Amino acid sequence: MWTFLIKDLLLFWRDRKEVAIIILLPLALVVILSLVMPGMFGEGSEEEYDLDLALVKEDDQERSLELFEDHLRQTSDLSNNEIEELLIGVRAHLPVEGLIEYLNSPELAEWVSVEAMEKETAQAEVEQGNLDGALIIPEDYSFQLLADMYLNEPTEQALSFQADDQTMEVEILSNVIQSYLDHMNLHHAISSAGGEVEVPSEALPQGQVENVEGQQSFSMDQYFTISMGALFVLFLAATVATRTGIEKRENTFKRIVLTNSPPLYYLFGKTMGTFILAWCQMMLILIGSHLILGVFSDHDITVWVGLILMATMYALAIAAISAVMTSVMLRLKNSETGDGIFMMVIMVFGVIGGNFVPIYLLPNWLQQIGEMTPNGLVLATLIEWIQYEDFSILVMPTVILMIIVIVSLFIGVKLYPKRGDVS
Amino acid sequence: MLETVQLTKAFKGKTVVDEVDLYLDQGESVGLLGPNGAGKSTTISMISSLLKPTSGDVKLNQKSTIKNPVDLRKVLGVVPQEIALYEELSAYENLKFFGRIYRVPKSELESRIQDTLEIVGLKERQKDLIKTFSGGMKRRVNIATALLHNPKILILDEPTVGIDPQSRNYILEMVRQLNEQKGTTVLYTSHYMEEVEQLCNRVYIMDHGKVIAKGTKSELLSILSNEDTISVQPNRIDEEFLAAVKKIEGVRKVEVSGEEINIIAKKVSNIVSELVNVGERHQVQILNFQMENPSLENVFLHLTGRTLRD
Repeated sequence: MWTFLIKDLLLFWRDRKEVAIIILLPLALVVILSLVMPGMFGEGSEEEYDLDLALVKEDDQERSLELFEDHLRQTSDLSNNEIEELLIGVRAHLPVEGLIEYLNSPELAEWVSVEAMEKETAQAEVEQGNLDGALIIPEDYSFQLLADMYLNEPTEQALSFQADDQTMEVEILSNVIQSYLDHMNLHHAISSAGGEVEVPSEALPQGQVENVEGQQSFSMDQYFTISMGALFVLFLAATVATRTGIEKRENTFKRIVLTNSPPLYYLFGKTMGTFILAWCQMMLILIGSHLILGVFSDHDITVWVGLILMATMYALAIAAISAVMTSVMLRLKNSETGDGIFMMVIMVFGVIGGNFVPIYLLPNWLQQIGEMTPNGLVLATLIEWIQYEDFSILVMPTVILMIIVIVSLFIGVKLYPKRGDVS
Repeated sequence: MLETVQLTKAFKGKTVVDEVDLYLDQGESVGLLGPNGAGKSTTISMISSLLKPTSGDVKLNQKSTIKNPVDLRKVLGVVPQEIALYEELSAYENLKFFGRIYRVPKSELESRIQDTLEIVGLKERQKDLIKTFSGGMKRRVNIATALLHNPKILILDEPTVGIDPQSRNYILEMVRQLNEQKGTTVLYTSHYMEEVEQLCNRVYIMDHGKVIAKGTKSELLSILSNEDTISVQPNRIDEEFLAAVKKIEGVRKVEVSGEEINIIAKKVSNIVSELVNVGERHQVQILNFQMENPSLENVFLHLTGRTLRD
């Protein structure tokens, strides 16, 4: 088998045009597409905005806490100890304090300038257009909010967001504040249900596109790197099948059959060769894109663990698929027909797998089908991985890819012509 | 040593090899002669175990090889009609790859490669890529690859197609030496009659999938022992003249070859004068006239009414 492997790798290496297409073309495409189509995912929008928000704080938290404590002692059935414990918890996560901290957090500070003001000044500044909006925290808001949260008493006071025009900037600010409140409500609901949820400040929504807790932003160059990598590795399977067609057409395969070498050595040599080439190709694209564009410069080494794992699994899946294609090619009477069929299959995989157009642009049902293709699955998984870096994300795709490997190898072996009876 | 028994192959109902019986004794050099499309390559593919016969058998030392061709493949070296080599690899790399998968022992592989390259006269060019070779050189490497595992039987399927006369002579001489000096049994297919005449002890002539004649060269030529082969060069050839020649008593076959007419006729004394008379009647002047010794080409013409290159 190693002899076949070495032969295939040597043949690949000798075909400089193929090497250039497989390695340089995807890298070139990543660079070109990243430069031509930046901001497709909305990244960069935060740099474009410079929002000014006035913060009017009429609420005195200490007073609100005292009011809340008195109210608790008067109306609730809780013991003194329970009240003390509850107050410790409340002090640790003061909602208005959290909101102010959030608005002044480094993530938001890059594109939102928050300035504390008196109510009248703020309203005047907004009216004059000097500010995009004003957030007014009314008097005793904290007390009423706490009463609502812990004692289910309806709130009379509400946060007030004032803006002169309904502009994009105003909408963004409004969404930022609303998403914080939603998050706080969710946090309280989970805590009330008995959950022990500690939400670190950096886990708060960041007001970027595709906002989800705990995520990092996902950029266009990252998308292109992964999608082009997945696509060109997919092409590799067809390239291997084409080479089989050439070996068949030029009768070298017949000569191999005549040597009495075990039939499957040829197939496994091809499979192993494809795996090595696919893995190297994927890694070269990932590393190359990173070196050229700094694609993963915002990430630490952990992101590479997931990238390498998925690249390995994907290369295995592609190698196994190439085994099927190799066997089919040997059975087909006309290898040109095989080339055409395989290229068509790969183009379909590429389209529904989101390698040509971003997955989110596709209809939901197509996205779901796309994720059944190895390339679509790897693309979706790595997009998620880059945002969360949570290893649990990789488990199911790894299992699915392994199943694809096993099933494809089984089919490849079953279809492989016995004793060299090629068509 | 190797024989085929009623070997038949049909594709989509069309029989391309029809009950072919042939045998090769150890150390023999046997020719398989026939025009393009006669079924030679299909027969070779079946003998080589690359193609399963529709019916019939291929036996090595009386043992059928159809179900299990492993033993046959061990002793068989096959030189296909096509150049079955990796163009992007050098001659040496091709030989090394095929030597390894032929399981030539590692300790012997290098010397075996060099010996084989010596035989085909390409030792100096071994590091060059096949794609840089001429057609004749490629054919020589094609043969070398089949010799790596020291086969007892060498099957060559039209190994000289499309190459220059120098390479052709080299290959023929090489095959002759392998047969005579190393005792390699040779089955040589060709549609070049002179190659088979030069190399082979026995000949099978195939046409339309059937063996139509077999035997030693002299046995085959004896088919024409009662006939003369006459080559005539007239100043012009027209249909009426040809028709008149065919009507001459004793004429069996008439075949136009370029500016000449080849005639096979019964050994009769008046054929020459009859030809002159026919020429005068049709205002055709006979420029040249030659009585030839019969060749296998003439035998084929006699048997099929066609030449080998038709």
